[in-house]
Amino acid sequence: VIAMRLVTAAFAAFVALPLLWLVYAAFIPAEALVRANLATFGFSLENFAALRGTGLWRVDGGVVLRHRPGGRRPAGLRLGAAYAIRNGLRLLALVMLLLALPSELLLVPLYRQLQTMALIDTLGALVVPFLASPLIVFLLLQGLRRVPWEVIEAARLDGAGEVAIVRRIVAPILRPELTASAVLAFAAHWNLVLYPRIMTTEPYGRAGLPHRAAARPRRSSGGCWAPRRWSPACPLIVLYLSSSRSASSRSSSPGSAREPPRPRRSPQRVRGKDGPPP
Amino acid sequence: MIRGVRTRAHLLALPATLVFVVFSLVPLLSVLRFATWRWSGTTDPLPVGAANVLRLLSDEALWASLGTTAMFAAMALPAFLTLSLVIALAIEGVRYERAIKALLFAPGLITVGGSAIAWYLLYNPDFGLIPELTGLVLPWTSQPWAALFYVVLFTLWQQTGYGVLVTSAALRGIPREVKEAASVDGATRGRGAAPDRVADARPTMLFLTIIGTVFSLQSYTAVYLLTRGGPFGSTRVLGYYLYETAFERYQLGYGAAITLFVLVITLLVAYLQARVLARRGASEATT
Repeated sequence: VIAMRLVTAAFAAFVALPLLWLVYAAFIPAEALVRANLATFGFSLENFAALRGTGLWRVDGGVVLRHRPGGRRPAGLRLGAAYAIRNGLRLLALVMLLLALPSELLLVPLYRQLQTMALIDTLGALVVPFLASPLIVFLLLQGLRRVPWEVIEAARLDGAGEVAIVRRIVAPILRPELTASAVLAFAAHWNLVLYPRIMTTEPYGRAGLPHRAAARPRRSSGGCWAPRRWSPACPLIVLYLSSSRSASSRSSSPGSAREPPRPRRSPQRVRGKDGPPP
Repeated sequence: MIRGVRTRAHLLALPATLVFVVFSLVPLLSVLRFATWRWSGTTDPLPVGAANVLRLLSDEALWASLGTTAMFAAMALPAFLTLSLVIALAIEGVRYERAIKALLFAPGLITVGGSAIAWYLLYNPDFGLIPELTGLVLPWTSQPWAALFYVVLFTLWQQTGYGVLVTSAALRGIPREVKEAASVDGATRGRGAAPDRVADARPTMLFLTIIGTVFSLQSYTAVYLLTRGGPFGSTRVLGYYLYETAFERYQLGYGAAITLFVLVITLLVAYLQARVLARRGASEATT
């Protein structure tokens, strides 16, 4: 146990060092970077001042809003697919195939596909192909397998439609999975480097995906890269922490079957709006 | 009636299926056609038959990059699995479990471009902070072995948190009765418990092995950001070679042929994955 904890402590320090440096580098004087004298320990806010003219907040904020983790439509697409597979649709093989494919395999053919659809150099190239993610569908399916199916059957007997079941019963039960998968999907999308570089040219770099900062740092740019890069990650980290708290509180509850949430409306209202009469 | 309900449930998969088909399946199948073209991406494609596929056989750089990818996987995968298991076991139930998990997962949430810059400035042999403060230099800008090791370290730094989370979730999912039976049999945290837990976590380790292999095949982003395939092509993994050929040399037709090559390797891995999973399912069914 002691050896394992020592390994853990050493690895935690190894992980923490670049993160701390990333935060601290935002406060070292830009001159230290220009002179390649990084061991100069100083404190300055000039890097933040240099951000003022870069339009970072507008660009990064725009991306966060466009691809926000809680976005309903992508989550709905993925949950709908997982729910259909749980109901016997034979789509799992396709999902597993796409899951196992390295993403670079699609770089060339997807470029051609987007070119044919006139989506190259548009925001659509950065958004539309990612609306459905095989990884997220797979994760949600795993969550759905633990949902007691009697609840779904009971809702059907009460006359609830499939859309109502997904929206009012399945989605609330799977909220931790939905949040966690949204964070994962957002982080994966946010961290794309080569894809936006290939599918969009410089004007659409303003879509904000961070590949433009991916080039090696220019010393002349001072230390302004550091606040540029870690500040957009802050909301993600907060979201991750809150979702992990919620997920762990669910998973630590005794028994694997989950309690369905208390319905917001009466069954009659649900039936009346979304489902056929019994 | 049940059939009608199922059909309505299946309809919910339509939008996602459409996205999968249009942006993944159709492009993937189109690779076969693109591989027979000479095409730069901006001009009209010129059919060249099997020339691109034949070129694969004599392309030394391609085979070298396959070797580099295998070397990368051989270095990264065992370390990834061991660290995931050891750390998950070490932090299970301790007071700071959540904090450590959050710390280890944080690199996956930070913009990879920013992470790469931080690493560049920390470990640069010429002016990096660590060499300046400690005198310890990893010559990754000049020595091929050090460059590959550097990329492996960066990948472990980024991905291990994910492995720890998955392993930890699997350990947590082990039924309480099994844990109680182990403690009745005299297993404690220090004695006897760890080997049992390792055996319990075997399916998860299998899953991580498969996922880790796929990650190894698509490790080109770290290479692009840190070393650009150098020095002397020592870190040019398959994915990066594909990117370089297609989008830096503008040989998209040949890039499609390389895509086919990587696809064959990936399908081999997927086949092994399916066999192992099927065997596992059969053994679970008999027990």
